[in-house]
Amino acid sequence: MKFTFAPEARPLDGYTIKRAIHRGGFGEVYYALSDAGKEVALKLLNNNLEVELRGVRQCLNLKHTNLVTIFDIREDGDNDHWVVMEYVGGPGLYETLQGYPEGMPLNEVLAWLTGMTAGLSFLHDRGIVHRDLKPANVFRDQGQVKIGDVGLSKYISESRRSAQTQSVGTVYYMAPEVARGRYGREVDVYAMGIMLYEMLTGNVPFDGQTTAEILMKHLTAEPDLSVLPQKLRPVIMGALEKDPDQRISTVEELENKFRAAVSGENASIPVTLPRTKTERAAAAESVSSPRATQRPERSPVLEDTVISDAPPSSPKTALAAAAALWNSIPQSLQFVIGGAIALLIIEADMLRPLAVGGIIGGAAFLGYQMLRMVTENVEKKKNENEQVVKAAGVAPPPPPPPAGVSPQPSVQPKRERFRRARKNKPTPQSPRTFTPATLRSIPAGYRATDLFSSLSLSLIAVSLVTVAVFYTTDMLGNMTHAVYFAAVTMLASWAVIVPSKLWEGRSADGFARRLVMATIGIGVGLVAGELPKFLLVDQQDLFRGAMATPPVAFGRVVLSDGSGNPTTASLMLFFAVLFAARRWWWQADSFRSSRFRVTSALLTLLVGMAITGALQEVTFPDALGATWALALSAVVQLSSGWTPHADRQKLAEEQQQVADKPHEEPVDVAVEAANA
Amino acid sequence: MSATLENDSQYRTNLFFGETLIPEASTEELVEESGEETSVSSQCRKFMLWIDGVGGWQLCTGNSFIIGAPSLEKESADIALLANVSRQHASLYCEGEDWRLTAHQPTQVAGKLIESETVIRSGDQICMAERVRLGFRIPSVLSTAAVIDFESDHRPSYSVDGIILLTDHCLLGPRRDHHIYCSHWPDLVVLFEQDGELRCRSNSTLHADGAVVRDSAPLSHGTVITGEDLRFRVEQMD
Repeated sequence: MKFTFAPEARPLDGYTIKRAIHRGGFGEVYYALSDAGKEVALKLLNNNLEVELRGVRQCLNLKHTNLVTIFDIREDGDNDHWVVMEYVGGPGLYETLQGYPEGMPLNEVLAWLTGMTAGLSFLHDRGIVHRDLKPANVFRDQGQVKIGDVGLSKYISESRRSAQTQSVGTVYYMAPEVARGRYGREVDVYAMGIMLYEMLTGNVPFDGQTTAEILMKHLTAEPDLSVLPQKLRPVIMGALEKDPDQRISTVEELENKFRAAVSGENASIPVTLPRTKTERAAAAESVSSPRATQRPERSPVLEDTVISDAPPSSPKTALAAAAALWNSIPQSLQFVIGGAIALLIIEADMLRPLAVGGIIGGAAFLGYQMLRMVTENVEKKKNENEQVVKAAGVAPPPPPPPAGVSPQPSVQPKRERFRRARKNKPTPQSPRTFTPATLRSIPAGYRATDLFSSLSLSLIAVSLVTVAVFYTTDMLGNMTHAVYFAAVTMLASWAVIVPSKLWEGRSADGFARRLVMATIGIGVGLVAGELPKFLLVDQQDLFRGAMATPPVAFGRVVLSDGSGNPTTASLMLFFAVLFAARRWWWQADSFRSSRFRVTSALLTLLVGMAITGALQEVTFPDALGATWALALSAVVQLSSGWTPHADRQKLAEEQQQVADKPHEEPVDVAVEAANA
Repeated sequence: MSATLENDSQYRTNLFFGETLIPEASTEELVEESGEETSVSSQCRKFMLWIDGVGGWQLCTGNSFIIGAPSLEKESADIALLANVSRQHASLYCEGEDWRLTAHQPTQVAGKLIESETVIRSGDQICMAERVRLGFRIPSVLSTAAVIDFESDHRPSYSVDGIILLTDHCLLGPRRDHHIYCSHWPDLVVLFEQDGELRCRSNSTLHADGAVVRDSAPLSHGTVITGEDLRFRVEQMD
């Protein structure tokens, strides 16, 4: 965190800055002492919009124990405005929440709620809407809850300019109607609802990688209330109502309903404010003090928030249990079990494709293990090298010039320095799960690197698979057959990888994607059908196994010409269906669950077999079709870039930062979309 | 115990009439009572650490520390609380691995009234004059340095988030078991005393007043330490 002013700087006459406190949505906040020694917080306003200042001036003389008192507004030598206000020590709600990743005890929640309600209803009673209520704006000093940034947000969101400066931390608490420019006090009720949800569960109800994603969820998604105690659900639902007219209308009403629900839920919960810091500290930290034992036990009601109360057994859960069981089996064992299943199917005359499938699967797995060994070694070496560099004390990037070392650092324009310093974004507080469905903005550079490395890796994967097929089966009679098989597999894998990598991280319409994939599949089929003519492949030999069937044709489309060889049209049909039947982009996504998933490959094999089975009637080679399906899945999974789970959060943040560099476009897009 | 209560009301009466000092009579009384103990003089040096984004922390270096009330005439206690306590109410000192508390005035440790001296452990609460409560903890197993937390609302006259009793070294960093928890810091910074000089070092690159720190750097009054994502200033307190 870099700040504009150094300790001991005196931007305002009479006040000496001692340290920076934090950087908020409206500017930097410093802890300063007056010449006589009075401690204050000094807030430097980012942009001196006249409206902003009017907002603060309105609130200058508001007095309430639950509001952070504003002492004065001052102008410094650079014509920047400062708000001089009461310094509030002690951990704020934001810090407190970090101590409770799974939710706070109920009486803690009530203590915060009571203070916030008192402060907010005082504001609402004077016709002022806070508009920027969030945990980082709520403090507690010696037991007294205090709301900060009063009056600062009043006009802020009306200017499009400032909408771009909204950080992720702010949009978590933003009511849906804000996108339409409506700011009643219901906005504060909504924010309170989100904060209550967060206090109870440890997580915000609407989370996402980008501001646009979160805004969209505020507008459309329903919060997951199942994690809340039963009785509290209607209250939180009432506060999180999308339509402000349907929402609980005042904060007092929200508090009353919440209290009523709590006492209904468990009347024995003592609703007391922890009086001393000991009790608070004891609750916040695990450092044991004698008093810690006196702290009220977490109510059994809240334990429910962790355990989901799904009905004990339903077909869906049985299926999920089966899936979980399968996933718990080590990968190598999965092959054995897969083989056993294959043996069973052999009885059903599907011997050849399954045997080939097993072989390819085995070869692919071996290849993957080898690849992993190699990459892990490389990775290890790299890490070791990094550690050596660190130990030697050679820090690679020199830190930016310490803007704050000299007491009077007003060399470069303040605005510039702000912009540079404001890159710190609040990071999501809880570990997230990253799947291919996770929306994320991947900068073009990352995407291109990933795509090209995947494509080049696929060359190796294709060779590996072709060699496996060539030497273990008699399907590919000679070298030209092998070349043909490799060429088509390669083309097909590229046809999967390219669109998948382009789609990665973007919001998906599964149907549209499948339609596109089917179209691409038609193209691949066309090549597969025409290529033998160019390679002068003996088709009779290549496609043996196909049953000669009577000619089948739909108009000009000849699915079977009676020759015993598959027609181009049947190959096109095969690939179109194969491409549309599987969710191929999941197999190529960097955030797929594991680099090589046996289940995915087996499932693809089954799909391939089903399609070839169906195409038997139009002279289609059973072995080749199913083998292609499996080979394709193996190649795609082996070669597509994959990010280990541990690195996903970091990568996503890194990409987000790169993507955010110019400015946060998505907010505007979403706001615009909402306005439309 | 009742004497303390009397002092309490007397003190408040004096406060009401504008006197912020401990009333003279009672001071004398306390001096008499404590007898020899008053000769205990501060052995430690005091610093303020102003840490960006974290807070203001007092750092006392040495092995023995006095808890008491501030004084305008004489030297103040090392942990000088604006509270109705004696100027030298109790002393904390570190002996090898152990910390001990010597009570010059009635003091409770972990709920037990201490006659003269006791061993104090991490997590124990020090209670003086019934209402003044301090937390005592040794957050790190790597160091004997202790942290004093203000558990009642009694604090020094200046604003401070906590007091570090630095015996060997103290850790500032991103973990809860560091003496000063600096959640946003990328790396650990160690403060230690060497040849009567307070110094700091870190594995990551630090700058002391703009100059790159090689190995470690001395900290004197006014030194500003900057690093990637961190900055703090050291002030010697008189």
